[in-house]
Amino acid sequence: MRDFLKSSSFKVLIITVVVLLGLILYTATAGGSFLGSLLGFSSAPMQGVTAAVTENVTEFLDLDGLSKGQMRSLVNDLLDRNAQLEQQLAEFENTKQENEQLKTQLSITSQRPENQLVSASVIGRDPNDVFYGFSIDKGTLEGVAVGDPVISSRGLVGVVSQAYATTSLVSCLLSEDVKVAAVCVDTRESGTVTGSVSLAASGLLRLSYLSGNTQVQPGEVIVTSGAGNAYPKDILIGEVQRVEKSENDASRYAVIRPSEDLQHIRDVFVIVDFPGKGEETARIEVNTDPGGGEDTEQ
Amino acid sequence: MRSFDRLVRFLAYILELLILFTLQETPGLTPAIFGVRPVLVLPAVITIAMLEGEVAALAFGVAGGLLCDFGLSGVLGFHALILGLLCFFVSLIVQLYMQNNLLTALLMGFMAIGITVGLQWLFLYYFQYSDPGHAFTHHYLPKFFYTLLFTPLIYLLNRGLYQAVANPET
Repeated sequence: MRDFLKSSSFKVLIITVVVLLGLILYTATAGGSFLGSLLGFSSAPMQGVTAAVTENVTEFLDLDGLSKGQMRSLVNDLLDRNAQLEQQLAEFENTKQENEQLKTQLSITSQRPENQLVSASVIGRDPNDVFYGFSIDKGTLEGVAVGDPVISSRGLVGVVSQAYATTSLVSCLLSEDVKVAAVCVDTRESGTVTGSVSLAASGLLRLSYLSGNTQVQPGEVIVTSGAGNAYPKDILIGEVQRVEKSENDASRYAVIRPSEDLQHIRDVFVIVDFPGKGEETARIEVNTDPGGGEDTEQ
Repeated sequence: MRSFDRLVRFLAYILELLILFTLQETPGLTPAIFGVRPVLVLPAVITIAMLEGEVAALAFGVAGGLLCDFGLSGVLGFHALILGLLCFFVSLIVQLYMQNNLLTALLMGFMAIGITVGLQWLFLYYFQYSDPGHAFTHHYLPKFFYTLLFTPLIYLLNRGLYQAVANPET
């Protein structure tokens, strides 16, 4: 073990730790990073509590008058106290986060009590995903299934593309795989919202299949239409930024700024059930299954 | 004793792969450059392959590939197959024809990461989505170079680990 500590591998390990610390510092100072925010969020109150305790103890006691043994005992007491406070702080942070999620969930549920929600946190973003998909900490054990819509307090986020027991993968709206039937709130023109690789990097979406003489204007709000029963009706998607002519035909398309920051979202809700969910799918299964159609419908 | 050393080394590799996978998946931890983030597991399995026998290299390639598959919504086994084969041949090439040093690691990393990213673009993007040229220049190419940047560091880490744990008689 001692040899290992003197070896070149240990030096490499130290260099790696330093590089990673630099990386953490970078993300903390650059702002907007999940880990940086989390570390700052948890360390700042802890440092504040520790500083306050230390200040109070220093005022109460004349440290110069203490012996070495008393000082050691005092330090040990403070370390124990600090450990207890850190534990309490960790529990407090967890409770606070859970409280925030539940408050948001309550707010959304009160707006649409017919939808059954499961709150989830984003736990991973794979660098191989071109369209900024992410994984969440809820899976089939919580009732999450493939095809469930994923929303936030600001609007639609994506759809569950794979569900494991305790985690799920979500394809976000920026993906070309996700196609959402949408409607403009003011003009009532409908189209399909989807992503593209060129727009995904800017965090934008595309509302396709608008007519050549569309009345859609920048600033117009886009919501889900509910067609196809894949998504509940009237969930906010975003706002029109500009309208452009389609490359392939006479139709036009609108570039949409999503209501949610899809590349950095942290907390989401999975709609595990809503009125009319899967009805369209069931009817298709009935039509394509001559042997057991009626059973499938039930 | 020799088998015990190997066991310790392999456990360390597994731990390393899990840590690197966690780092690469954690949102906001690795800073994005040109909108892409590095795939840390790729250089890890390639450099492990340079240090171990071809069968062990194959196993670690498959393990790293499965991790990549798990993180990405797609076909489970795609990365495992590619990385398993690549690691197997990297191990053989280094054992038979090349010196095991930093320059070789860079060369092998350039080749293996390039093939992996190229096949990702071909099979996971080109045949499925629109505008493949834009995706290649704005996502896959930056990801390739960004991932390649970590190859020397991970190679030095794995070589240090190998030298620290390997039996002197071997």
